[in-house]
Amino acid sequence: MTRSEETEDQQAWRVLSEAGLVEIRLDEFAERIADVKRIVIVRLRELLDFDNGIEERESAAYSLGTLKGLELKVLANVPPRSDPSEV
Amino acid sequence: MQSIAEKLRSEAQWPPEEGEVLSFTTSVGSETATLKEVRWGLVWRDFILEDGRVIPEHRIAGCPQPQVWRKMDEVTDDEREDCEERLLSMAGSGMDPRQRDQSFWAELNQYLAYTYLRYKQASGRVQDKVQETER
Repeated sequence: MTRSEETEDQQAWRVLSEAGLVEIRLDEFAERIADVKRIVIVRLRELLDFDNGIEERESAAYSLGTLKGLELKVLANVPPRSDPSEV
Repeated sequence: MQSIAEKLRSEAQWPPEEGEVLSFTTSVGSETATLKEVRWGLVWRDFILEDGRVIPEHRIAGCPQPQVWRKMDEVTDDEREDCEERLLSMAGSGMDPRQRDQSFWAELNQYLAYTYLRYKQASGRVQDKVQETER
């Protein structure tokens, strides 16, 4: 199947799979949050440059704040790695 | 391969009902458990088991293909904001998303998937518009 033949759901599945976001690996939450933050920042810049969609701009800024908050908490809760030299 | 009759039957009976025993895949193989509830997340359906685990629809045996996902514009602002509050509250209470198949893991997965799709699609549309105006 070519990309142009994909349904909307199949396209969404492919995009999320390629981004590693269908089922996030347990040790990759911090990286995936950072990836999503980058996408939101790109969109926020576009909204500031091309659009006057104030509501979407506010919503994107709020999502960015949520992602930053989650990133800090997830990083703070990372279990300490065992030192291989101790084994 | 599933026959057309089997496919139609499984789609007509989908999703399973509360109390049914489901088969699903885990990180270590296949397992069965009793379904408590089926709930839509921001993108896909989650199957909540009686033991509290949350299994995404695509890991349930017999799930019709292709799966039906929500459209981004079906998700209301209130729904998204409620999800964001729940996530921040779970993170703030010290819950760890690295506990696979638990509610924080499931909800954070869906939130990140939703947010990525939402802003990536919107950015794609803007890029298309920019390219059109430059032609």
